[in-house]
Parts: sequence; structure tokens; C-alpha cells
Amino acid sequence: MERFFQYLFDGLSLGSIYALLALGLVVVFRGTGHLNFAQGEMAMICTFVVWQFNDWGVPLVLSIILGMIVGFALGAGVEATIIRGVAKKSQAGVFVVSIALFLGLNSLAAMIWGSLPPEQLPGLFPDEPDDFQRIFGAVWRYEYIGVLAVALVLMGLLFLLFAKTKFGLAMRAVASNPESARLAGIPTGIVLASSWGIAGAMGALSGTLWGGIVGELNAGLMFTVFIYASAAATLGGFDSPGGAVIAGLTIGVGEQFLAGYFPGWIGQEMKLSAALLTIFVVLLVKPSGLFGSTKVERV
Amino acid sequence: MLRIDEGSTRHWLLRLLGFAVITFIVVWVPTQMSSSRIGQFTDAFILMIAAMSLNLVLGFTGQISIGHSAFFGIGGYTAAILIKDHGWSPGYTFYAAAVVAFVVGCVVALPALRIRGIYLALVTLAVAVLFPTLVRWKKLAWLTDGSKGMDSVRYEDVPVWPILGELKGREGRAVFMFWLGLIVVVATYLVCRGIVKSRFGRALVAIRDNETAAAVMGVNLTTTKVLVFGVSAALCALGGVLSTLKSGVITPDGQYVTLLGSIVFLLVMIVGGAGTLWGPIIGGLVYVWLDNTTRDIGTSDSGILGALFGWADQSPATLILGLVLVVIMFAAPYGLVGLAKRLGRKVVVIVPRPVGSSTPR
Repeated sequence: MERFFQYLFDGLSLGSIYALLALGLVVVFRGTGHLNFAQGEMAMICTFVVWQFNDWGVPLVLSIILGMIVGFALGAGVEATIIRGVAKKSQAGVFVVSIALFLGLNSLAAMIWGSLPPEQLPGLFPDEPDDFQRIFGAVWRYEYIGVLAVALVLMGLLFLLFAKTKFGLAMRAVASNPESARLAGIPTGIVLASSWGIAGAMGALSGTLWGGIVGELNAGLMFTVFIYASAAATLGGFDSPGGAVIAGLTIGVGEQFLAGYFPGWIGQEMKLSAALLTIFVVLLVKPSGLFGSTKVERV
Repeated sequence: MLRIDEGSTRHWLLRLLGFAVITFIVVWVPTQMSSSRIGQFTDAFILMIAAMSLNLVLGFTGQISIGHSAFFGIGGYTAAILIKDHGWSPGYTFYAAAVVAFVVGCVVALPALRIRGIYLALVTLAVAVLFPTLVRWKKLAWLTDGSKGMDSVRYEDVPVWPILGELKGREGRAVFMFWLGLIVVVATYLVCRGIVKSRFGRALVAIRDNETAAAVMGVNLTTTKVLVFGVSAALCALGGVLSTLKSGVITPDGQYVTLLGSIVFLLVMIVGGAGTLWGPIIGGLVYVWLDNTTRDIGTSDSGILGALFGWADQSPATLILGLVLVVIMFAAPYGLVGLAKRLGRKVVVIVPRPVGSSTPR
């Protein structure tokens, strides 16, 4: 039972990070219908920005807020300058451009911060060896509790933004029918850029939380997290923010259980593959994810 | 502007000219260039094969696949295992790899029957992530040698082909791999062309344009999709065999075996021109050229780039590659072949033969 709760806690905390990045993917997909391959790398760059501010003596919380602002500007800027121009001409082009961003940002981070000694990003929460709480015999570190709490609060705020504000309504309008939305007087350009911006800001936070757990920053920081996040977005349904959160947490918990209970066959090396295979099977039954809407087509 | 009737003498002369130019390049490269240059052309051939195979599935059938690196790896590993453990002659492994990959491709196609669009992208991404971990998995180490991979998988002595004469040493091997690569590229191209211009190819395009409508018109979605995935996987595996024979090494982290391989194949295909027969060929050449040029620029400290990027800790090669890709997509949203067709139309127009004319092709 102790093991069960241990895996559950670890899984929930890690899963909340996947869920944050997955939410970014879903926000972008709902807004513009694109899979942003560079989401993870944008998050990685912002994490370095947070570290840099912190290194210059800015308090950590303020650095994170600055990092999120940079993330917003990066996301919105990329959408307004590059993505929109290419998307008008070709959808496949957007894919290439997001891959190009992926490569470019990755290389940029290595160019700026590459040869420094491995940067230690201080954790946002107390992470001394004895900073933990025992619940049902399992160790729940404050750091992990903090990550989960921050992630859940941010998701809550985001849902309020979607459901209760005028801006959220505009976003939904643009997602469902851009042309009618424009005719109704919604500034679609600003809305689209903002949805990329929001995704960028959330990426910055998920990167910082993940960086705090990993400890050392490098250009490959977010690659695996990005795969988990896109798996979460797929499992939840690419147009369902709630689905992304539930799927992110489920994947986080699920991989801990798979790795923990089958150390010989799955273990740490195969847990990503095992999680992906499970999702694969789920998709065979529900091709649009658990909470995604099925596309109905008129011929 | 020049107007030429399709099938007229002038049209044939134009085609002959194109063929002559290509033949000239193909003969000139291995006889006149340095062996490292020849090797780069072989690299381009490898990418062309993979991108052509991906083009069948994505460009013509509209089924996104980020899993082709796995087929590529299956080809490479089949060759390595057969040569090392079973003493096969390298040439025959092409056939075996194609058969193995065909079967795996058909199995991977099964989810594509139900899952579409972005969801299919993730399922195939899962295949790409799964393959290297499976190869590295300790329970399969007896077959794949785990994470250290397999080495010295190559022609010990290059076979003697009467036309080429006797080829010796490293340079000889480079020349031989060039010709071998060229043969595989031509074969792959002919298979793709044959498929695309056939009834089966029409069915593929119908599925791409509107799946439901295609089904209503009598296209059997199941067999068509399964077959095209199988053929595509088999062709991609040929690229994998060629790559392994060229470098002599294959590891789970090797070039094009991981997820990054799939991404490169997609880049090559889209930059060249998705859904065109020549797109992947142009894309492969351009990509390898860009990759090598940016790497050279990245290592030189002089000139304008040295001034621009002198502060950088690491080479800006990938950043420049990314920027160039963005520029290409702005200038040629339908790929380089799309751009060439648009510009070419201003110079020469091939007037198609009237529909229903009975002139034999």
C-alpha cells in the first residue's frame, strides 16, 4: 500500500507538469489547428531565461514571472510574424516552420548557455533531503506538493479565463469559426497571437517546474516532457483542455505504476514506450481521444 | 513563352535533354569528385529513398507518419543481423529487409484505418519512440546487441562489376556505394512512379482528398491503406540498409534511427515538394547540401558570420539551418518543386494531349 501511494504522489506531480505543457499544445491547436512542435523548446528557452534572471540577482518568483512574460512574447511573436504568414499559403509549411523553430531554438540555447558549467536551477520549494511529509507511509516531498499545487492553480485560472471572460469567449469563437468571428468584430489576429502567447507562458512555467526537479538545465531539457505532453494532449483529445489535464495526470500516474510494479520488464527505460503503447490501444477504441470531439464530415 | 504539345517531337527532345543532364551529373560525380563529396551524394540518396517512401503515405495518401525512422531502422538492423549473425552477402539483405519492413508496415497501418490526422501523428510518433527503446531493451540484446549497436556491417571486399572495373580501398568503396545507392534510388523512384500513375495511385489521391468520398466511389480503404503503408515501409527499409552498408555501423541512437530521423524525412519531403514525384529527390539534394554548408559555416570563425556569431559558445549551424528552412517555406510554400513548376510555367508550357485522343503513349 505504501508503494501504491508513493507511485500515486510521484505520478500526480510529474503528470501535472506534462498536463501544463499539454494544455499549451491544446490551446494552440484549438486556436489555429496546428501542432506546435517547438512548444517544448520554447519552454526550455524560457527556463534558461528564468535561470539567467535569477543568476543576475532577481528573486526567483519574480524571475519566473519575467520568464512567463518572455514566453508569452515569444509565442505571440512567433505566431504573428512567422506562423501566420506561412499558414496562409500551406499547412504543411507550418509543420516545417515549427520544426525549424525547434531546431533553431535548441541550437540558440546551446549557443548562449551551452559551455557554461551545468546550471543549477534552484527549486521553487524547499528541497532539502528531509523536506517531506509522510502520508499513508509514502514520502511526499514538499517540492512535489508545490509543483502539483502551482500547476493546479494555474490550470484553474486558465479555465476561468476560458469560461468566464470575454477574451475566453473570443477564443472559442475564433476556434469554432474564424471568419464569422472576424465579421462579428473580434480581432482574430490578436486572439490567435494571444493563444500562442498563453501557451508560451505555460510552457515557461512547466519548464521551470521541471527544471527545478531535474536540477540541471540543458538544451535537451524538455524533449521527453514534450513527448509526454503530446501523448497527453492526444489521449485527452486535442481540442479538450480538461481532457489534457486529466490525461496528463493519468499518464504521470500510469507510468509510475508501470515502471514501479514491473521493474524487470518495463522499469525506467521502457516506461515511456509502455505508456505510449497503452495510449495506442486506447486510441484504437476512441480514435479522437477520451474527451475529444469527433469530426463529422459532409461529403 | 514557349508552348509545346505533349508527346510532340519537341517534348521528347526536352525530356531527352533533361535525361542527358542528369546522366552527365551522375557520371561526373563519382568519376571526378573527391570521395567525401561522393559520400555526401550517397547520403542524399539515402534521404531521397526515405523521403520518397514517406511521400507515398503522406504526400499522396494524406496519412501522416512520424514513424518512418522505425522502418528505416528495421531495414538497417535486418541487414546488420543477417550479415553478422547469419553470414549473408550484403546485397541480398535488401530483399529480406524489404519483406520484414513490409510486414511491419502493414501492421502499423492498422491504426490508420481508424485514427486520423493529428491523432495518427502521435500513434506513428509512438512507433518512432518505441523502436530505439526496443532495440536497446535488455530482453532483446541477444538479437540486437543492445545499446552498443552492431559494427563492421559492410562489404568486406567490394564486388567487381564489369562496367566499374576493380574498385579498391576506401575510395573504391565510396564509388561503389554511390552506384549501389543510385540503383536503389532509381528503383524506388520507378516503384513510386508506377504506383502513382496507376489505378492504385488514383485511389491513394482520392483518399487524400476526401476519404469518405473515396469510399463511396468504391475504393477499398482497408486494403489500400494497408498496402501503401507496407510498400512505403519496405522502400524506407531499403534506405536503412543502404545507410548501414555505407557507414558499416548501426546503433539505437544512430542517424535517422531515432525520432529525429522521421523529422528529417518529413523536412526533406516537404521542402522538396509533397505529393510530387521529384520533390523528395530535390529535397534530399538540397537538405544534404544545406546541412554540410551550414556545418562548414558554423566552424569557420572568419567573415560576416564569424562577426555575427563570434560570441556563441557552440556552432550556429543548426540555427542557420532553421532560418533557411523558414525562408524556404515563405518563398516556396509548396516545396521547391512546386516553386520550380510555377516559375517554369512562365517559360515553357506543356500543352496536355486532349482527353480521349487515342494516340498511344
